[in-house]
Amino acid sequence: MELLSNIFPPQNFTLVAVILGLPALGAFVNGVFGKRLGKHAVRLMALSAIGGSFLASLIAFAMLVSFGRAAHGEHGAQAGVQVIERLKFTAWHWFDVSTNGGFGSAPIEVAFTIDRLSSVMMLIITGVGFLIHLYATAYMWDDQRPDGGFHRFFAYLNLFCFAMLVLVMGSSLPLLFVGWEGVGLCSYLLIGFWYSDDANAAAGKKAFIANRIGDFGLLVAMGLLVSYGGALDWEGIGSGAGSLLQRVQVWPIGHAPTTGVAGWVVSHVPFLFQSFNPTVATVVGLCLFLGCAGKSAQIPLYVWLPDAMAGPTPVSALIHAATMVTAGVYLVCRLWFVFLLSPVVMATVATIGVLTAFFAATIGLAQTDIKKVLAYSTVSQLGFMFLGVGVGAFSAGFFHVFTHAFFKACLFLGAGSVIHAMHAGIHDTTASQDMRNMGGLRKWLPTTYLTFFASCLAIGGFPLTSGFFSKDEILYRTYVTHISAASAEKGLTRWEAPTWFGPMLYWVGILAATMTAFYMFRALFLTFWGDFRGWELAKSGAKTKHGDGKTDKHEAAKHDAAHDHAKHDAHGHEPHGPMAAPHESPWAMTVPLFVLAAFALVGGVFNPGLFSKEPGMEHWLLPFFQASEEYVKVKDGAPSAMMLALPGVMAFVVGAGGAFFVYVMSKGEPARVFTEKIPGLYRLVLDKWRVDEFYENTIIGMVESLAETAVVIDKWLIDGIIARLTALVVAAFGTVLRAFQTGVVHVYAAAMVVGIAVFGWFFVWQPQAGATVREQSSGKYVVEASPGLGYKFRWHSKTPDQPDSEAFTGRRTVEVDVSPGETKLVKLDVKNAFDRTTTSTVVVTRPSPSPAGSAQPPVMKGSIR
Amino acid sequence: MIPVEYYLVVAGVMFGVGAIGFLLRRNLLVQLMCIELMLNSVNLTLVAFNRMRPDDHNGQMFAFFVIAVAAAEAAVGLAIGLAIYRLSRSVRSDEADLLKN
Amino acid sequence: MNGLGSLLFFGISALAALIGALFVVLATNPIRSAMALLLAIGGVTALFIGLDAHFLAAIELIVYAGAVVILFVFVIMLIGPDSTPPHDSKAMFSRTLAAVVFGMFALVTGFFMLRAGGGLHWFPPYRHDYGTIDTFGRELFTRGLVPFELTTALFVVAVVGALAVARGRHRSDAPSEGAKEQAP
Repeated sequence: MELLSNIFPPQNFTLVAVILGLPALGAFVNGVFGKRLGKHAVRLMALSAIGGSFLASLIAFAMLVSFGRAAHGEHGAQAGVQVIERLKFTAWHWFDVSTNGGFGSAPIEVAFTIDRLSSVMMLIITGVGFLIHLYATAYMWDDQRPDGGFHRFFAYLNLFCFAMLVLVMGSSLPLLFVGWEGVGLCSYLLIGFWYSDDANAAAGKKAFIANRIGDFGLLVAMGLLVSYGGALDWEGIGSGAGSLLQRVQVWPIGHAPTTGVAGWVVSHVPFLFQSFNPTVATVVGLCLFLGCAGKSAQIPLYVWLPDAMAGPTPVSALIHAATMVTAGVYLVCRLWFVFLLSPVVMATVATIGVLTAFFAATIGLAQTDIKKVLAYSTVSQLGFMFLGVGVGAFSAGFFHVFTHAFFKACLFLGAGSVIHAMHAGIHDTTASQDMRNMGGLRKWLPTTYLTFFASCLAIGGFPLTSGFFSKDEILYRTYVTHISAASAEKGLTRWEAPTWFGPMLYWVGILAATMTAFYMFRALFLTFWGDFRGWELAKSGAKTKHGDGKTDKHEAAKHDAAHDHAKHDAHGHEPHGPMAAPHESPWAMTVPLFVLAAFALVGGVFNPGLFSKEPGMEHWLLPFFQASEEYVKVKDGAPSAMMLALPGVMAFVVGAGGAFFVYVMSKGEPARVFTEKIPGLYRLVLDKWRVDEFYENTIIGMVESLAETAVVIDKWLIDGIIARLTALVVAAFGTVLRAFQTGVVHVYAAAMVVGIAVFGWFFVWQPQAGATVREQSSGKYVVEASPGLGYKFRWHSKTPDQPDSEAFTGRRTVEVDVSPGETKLVKLDVKNAFDRTTTSTVVVTRPSPSPAGSAQPPVMKGSIR
Repeated sequence: MIPVEYYLVVAGVMFGVGAIGFLLRRNLLVQLMCIELMLNSVNLTLVAFNRMRPDDHNGQMFAFFVIAVAAAEAAVGLAIGLAIYRLSRSVRSDEADLLKN
Repeated sequence: MNGLGSLLFFGISALAALIGALFVVLATNPIRSAMALLLAIGGVTALFIGLDAHFLAAIELIVYAGAVVILFVFVIMLIGPDSTPPHDSKAMFSRTLAAVVFGMFALVTGFFMLRAGGGLHWFPPYRHDYGTIDTFGRELFTRGLVPFELTTALFVVAVVGALAVARGRHRSDAPSEGAKEQAP
């Protein structure tokens, strides 16, 4: 450890470069040279990149642990050793942001920090990432699609890991934002990996756009933090957090107009333009949460995550289960001191979290595509995580991130394994994922079944699994904690959540947990128990198109109803032989499943929290969140943890037992009865509460009408008026001018004559009498007449009436003496060779001496009379 | 003797006749002849003025070159006239409007 | 020469020039126009002689009367006399307008010139080395050497141009006669 800390000093922790650089290198090599290198080399590069990064992360974590132990005096620490809470590495100075109205300057540097929070995230990213990479090498090995590409996939996957690591290791918000956008980009690339299907591309776009809406919130929050807090790196924000308590005025719709017609209208609806007086912390928190809602798929921006299932299953596992979607939770944990300053924001976070959990769980009850069930389950679990951090249980929420990574990744990989097996017989993408075509797979896919089962136990909250510890910790804290408002000085009362708030959220959470258990075990039973229902589908010919060119509308990301699709299969395809029995996946796919399932089961040991006094993650993260204890307090007279864990266990029993009853014992009868009795509700839930349709009609509809307005403007205004009208005008001029081009040469000569006549006018009829005045020396001005052909001049320089000479001479210049402040008039007669005369008067003024004593240039005026 | 103004008047009238003839006549060849007339009038003017200042022969030299250039131009113009005639069997210049518009 | 003789000489040559010019414009037959041009050139040549520009008069006669007019006659013969009817012309309006404008402008200018007056100006006395081939040539080949050589180049261009224009599409046609020119 000494050696390591000598090689990598904590202030200049260059191991960060290894952790970040290996995935970046892997992405680059695989992306640029991958095609030439071949699949084996690509696999080696990708796995070694992420594996090496994992080892380096382990080393960093170990170093941090040892520093922590030394600081807490557990290893016979020397006195006076400083507490090293973070390992920092500064790459370069990026730019400076001016703060404080332009007087201050906050430097933004490309610097990476490994502290307690980010070290755990790094381990998740690289560890689970490595397992998923390994899985993907087998999953994508046989992909023959023309728009696929083994090397491209792994380049993107490594790039994603790189971006995610930048996100968690960044030591300032802009750098986090770089990583944030990077994972958004990689998500887009990977969701639309098989891009020749329009549905995939559309799903990728949807993900990116929904993310972008959230990013707007993040950018606004960054701006506010810089402007009110004065810094954007974590330490700076923390130290400036006090200034975030000032009140600001917010006009949601804008300032009300007071004049004119608009003003009159507005005066009748003043409540629309009311302003609010929240603290900066509230506004920042809400904006930050908008970003989290986009990235972590909360209401209202969760709609992209179910569609993102169009990507390959390893992508879903890595990005949409383990890592990217947890970036929002990470952000809240990272900036907990900003969020905690505003109980309003915390309450909002918790409420939206639990509502999302509930809402997504209801949708998951009715889905038939196994990946969609898992997608909604992810949304729901993310809601739990936000519930946790929203009530101030930051380490509990973060622990749920940790456990969720394991069991959700295991679930997704297991589903991928199932799909892999189904795909071998049924080539259609949608049908091979439809749970109604599955069943009884546990006899052919035993490993997959076991790991899936283990993860279902974990997600349901079976006692002593990791999910149990994390979820019940969250629910317990929901019930018992109360967040007090920061800084109640200045006599300002601030809003705090009422006492019934926690318990209400708790019971909604219990309901969501019940539904979670129900739909997860429903999925388990439909997929692995009972009889296999896919024989007919395979026999009736599975040569439906998949992955070639245009896709039919049913594969668009709106409907999962595959029974219509089965009718599609039935016509026009040649019959196939009897399908071979589904087979288990290769070792590269099952080993990760094992590892993940193992962690899912025993991962609770990392944070036993409720039931044991062993130090766990909460203890590890304690110094990080320490100051939060001032505001997050357990209510007096709260029930004990054991008592509150009981409804959680009951949730599991009711949910799993109910699923068992409905799908195993009654073979799905109650479900069918339900769909027949209340078809409206069923269809509503099946259609995901028609949220997508609602968005389509309102927001997207608005954007589309804006686009159509733009089209009209472009066609009629710009094309029609500006382009064509000007062309018409020019053409009209051309037609007029063309009349002169008769092509007959002496018409041209005639025009020339006319031109000469006009031109000659000036020589014959009208001489031009112009003159310029020049100052020769102080007081002496020289008036010079403009020359011309055959011109003769006569001056009246002394007096305007008396000419200097009667005859016209060729004298062009005349000298005039002017005293200061005096104006003299000089008259000039010009005669041309045809005896035509013109006269003009020249005014010569000499200004009286100014105080500065500088001579101004004389003013000259001439007029032709 | 003869004042220079007389020569200038002759030249001027000749020029005027040539110009108006050019504008009014439609036969291409006659138009070219009118051009020659105008050039000759200019030559006359030049030589007359040169006789006013006989120190050097500037005017005569200029007239010399005018003659030369006029001859070359007459040659080329006649070639063009021949080409037009071959094209449209007519030397009427107001029918040679292929470059119309 | 005495005054009357020179005046008479001037009068005859001026008349010849002006009548020739008039008939160039007025004659309907182009051959008649060419002959009138010849007369006009003769008149101008005589005027040159009256102005003591002997060399130039010779050049004028040789080049203009001896080459250009001959050229005109050749081309007219080639084309055939074409009597142009006086009416049905395109763009008669603009041409007449231009002629009128020009005429008026010339009259106005002449009027002002006459009014400008200043009396008549007489020539300085005759110098024996003025206008002779000797003196003129000397000046031409020293001060006027560059324009002289450039004129040579101009002739080459004119020859090539005339050839190119008159050749036309029919390669079998002999090159037009309007290509020959003798340098003075």
